[in-house]
Amino acid sequence: MEPGAIVAVDAVRKRLGGTEVVAGLSFDVAPGEILGFLGPNGAGKTTTMRMILDIVRPDAGTIRVFGQAPGIAHRARIGYLPEERGLYRDVPAIETLTYLGTLRGLASGEARRRGLRLLGEMGLGDAARKSGAQLSRGMHQKVQLIAAILHEPELLIVDEPFGGLDPVNSDLLKAVLRDLRARGTAVIMSTHDMADAQALCDRILLIDRGRRLLYGPVGAIRDAFADGAVSVRGRGLPGPGSLPPSAAERSERDGTVRYLLRPGARAADLFRELATSGAEVERFQEEAPELGEIFVRAVAGDPRAEAVR
Amino acid sequence: MSGGRAGGIGLAWAVARRDYLRTVRRRGFLVATFTLPLTIAGFLLLGTLVGSSAVPAGGGPVPIVVVAETAVDLRGAAAVVPGVTLTDRATAEERSATGEIPAWFLVPEGWPADPRVIRTTGAAQQLDLGDAGRESAEQASLDALLRLALTEAGGLDPLAQERILLPAIVETRTETGTTVSAAALAASFIVPFAFALLFVLAIFVTSGYLLQSVTEEKENRVVEIVLSSVPAFPLMGGKILGLGAAGLTQATIWAITALLGISLLGDRIGGLPEIVPDPLVVLLAASYFVLGYLAFGAIFAAIGALAPGTREAQQYSGFLGFFAVLPLVLSAGIASDAGSPLVWALAAIPLTAPSTLLLVLALGDGIPWPMVGLSLVSLTGWIILATAGSARVFRATILLYGARPSVRTIVDALLARG
Repeated sequence: MEPGAIVAVDAVRKRLGGTEVVAGLSFDVAPGEILGFLGPNGAGKTTTMRMILDIVRPDAGTIRVFGQAPGIAHRARIGYLPEERGLYRDVPAIETLTYLGTLRGLASGEARRRGLRLLGEMGLGDAARKSGAQLSRGMHQKVQLIAAILHEPELLIVDEPFGGLDPVNSDLLKAVLRDLRARGTAVIMSTHDMADAQALCDRILLIDRGRRLLYGPVGAIRDAFADGAVSVRGRGLPGPGSLPPSAAERSERDGTVRYLLRPGARAADLFRELATSGAEVERFQEEAPELGEIFVRAVAGDPRAEAVR
Repeated sequence: MSGGRAGGIGLAWAVARRDYLRTVRRRGFLVATFTLPLTIAGFLLLGTLVGSSAVPAGGGPVPIVVVAETAVDLRGAAAVVPGVTLTDRATAEERSATGEIPAWFLVPEGWPADPRVIRTTGAAQQLDLGDAGRESAEQASLDALLRLALTEAGGLDPLAQERILLPAIVETRTETGTTVSAAALAASFIVPFAFALLFVLAIFVTSGYLLQSVTEEKENRVVEIVLSSVPAFPLMGGKILGLGAAGLTQATIWAITALLGISLLGDRIGGLPEIVPDPLVVLLAASYFVLGYLAFGAIFAAIGALAPGTREAQQYSGFLGFFAVLPLVLSAGIASDAGSPLVWALAAIPLTAPSTLLLVLALGDGIPWPMVGLSLVSLTGWIILATAGSARVFRATILLYGARPSVRTIVDALLARG
């Protein structure tokens, strides 16, 4: 467990309906970071998050939240936006927010005041008196997000937060998450959207069938899965008949030359060789696979996952 | 962790307070709560309107004006029957025209060979709700007048005349010699039975609120957000308390209305004023309401959690109604022998105990303390077991959205496995 971690999960196991949905999972989350929690459907993400929230108890292993076992004591410090979302259909939005705020430890008046302020900031000032049934889907999602952050939590757990969001609301949510991170909030975010995970997350935890497949900083994981390909644009680059010593293959498309490095060679070696050959390099980029591609490879059993497990 | 326990109680209180206020402000609750009192008030008002213009306070005779053209002499009888005024046709017509009297009777020359007597009302007379009651009372006075006149004309002695004119008075006595009126006897069964029925209804209505609240939060998917703040047990406990308080509010309004109705009915229904509830019986009845609600409510909370939707929840809970209604179906037997083995058996079964004891307390003679003790022990044990088991089922199944949990899942939850 990292010192100062807000959440520390150690060798946790959980069996539901005869199936082991979480099998010895360990990870931690630090203040001011967004941990991307990735995995195929049924991988055990939601169950793990529910265990952190003390909605479900683990069969084995330990979970520490703010250094203690999960429980009521931390409810005021945790925000949660579940995947299955909803509001009371016949209750005004502000009343729902006030109630949920009081359950998170806020005084009723304070919860109401914050709810009205956040509704206004998110452009929902006029919707405060509308019931859940009267709100559009986008409004619903904003109100639910407000309910999760109303009490200014130190730990925010969001399960598939971008599901069903339009681009405008999706950007709004990303901005909120970045803002919370900047203020020191630890965020655990489950998502299927790899582009969002890559753009937002500091670290990634990929699980499959309750087991950890990948765990670490986004850059390190992408580096681990890099194929050793480098794309170069410039003038005077060596032709097909004269490969630089560190390159094994060369291909060219639309003016961009793509080199595949020999085993053991580094991109820096290739750059030096191109420079000494007299070529004028305008753009030199190491190619790293997108998280979506890494996700598929890791789940399929790519041995490179071992380095970042 | 004491802080956790204190926090749990605080959260349960917050849930209870919120569910109570939300329920009592609902249109459906207000309609259900006040429909019964308003209906009773409506009947009372109707009865008052019917009776007020016809029958004098105290139920005495109605004054009637009679014009006698018959050969039978009515004067002697008119002097005896209260409220009868004999006059001539012109005077009767004049008093009617000025509105001094609402109607007058003409006993024609052909009476009694021709049984018809003419009742004439004023031209401006409007039909009102009091007409039916007034005519009935007038008819009674007229009948008394004419019968007395005929018996006098027949030369019967006064005692024989009285026996012909007045029906026999039936007096009911208990084995100890206490005199009881027939109306009081009927009221002593109907009123307590109605109260027992009211309480059983209240138990079920209140349990229905609980079922609705749980299934609604599950269907709305709000429950997961709530569960991330409030653990399952305080959440369930808060709901049971808050909605139980709402049901108690409703039952209290019903009971107070019923008692007010009985006192307002006054002497209109014989025997009712004689019913004075024993405070101890009232206390026990309230206890059985609370215990009955807890006994059913714990199961209803679990049903709400494990049912995929409202419809399924109602189907699952429907069979429980059998237990609550069974003692009511057998109420005649309970009334005739409140100490029979059947009644003891019903008192020992937790889900039939509340309505059985409510009936026994209402219909029986005194408080059967051994039976009360047995039922309280049975109910308390059941409530503890059912609440603990329901809390486990609640926790294990509340987040299974749209899915019907398997029997194994439920059994595992009850046995705290997994």
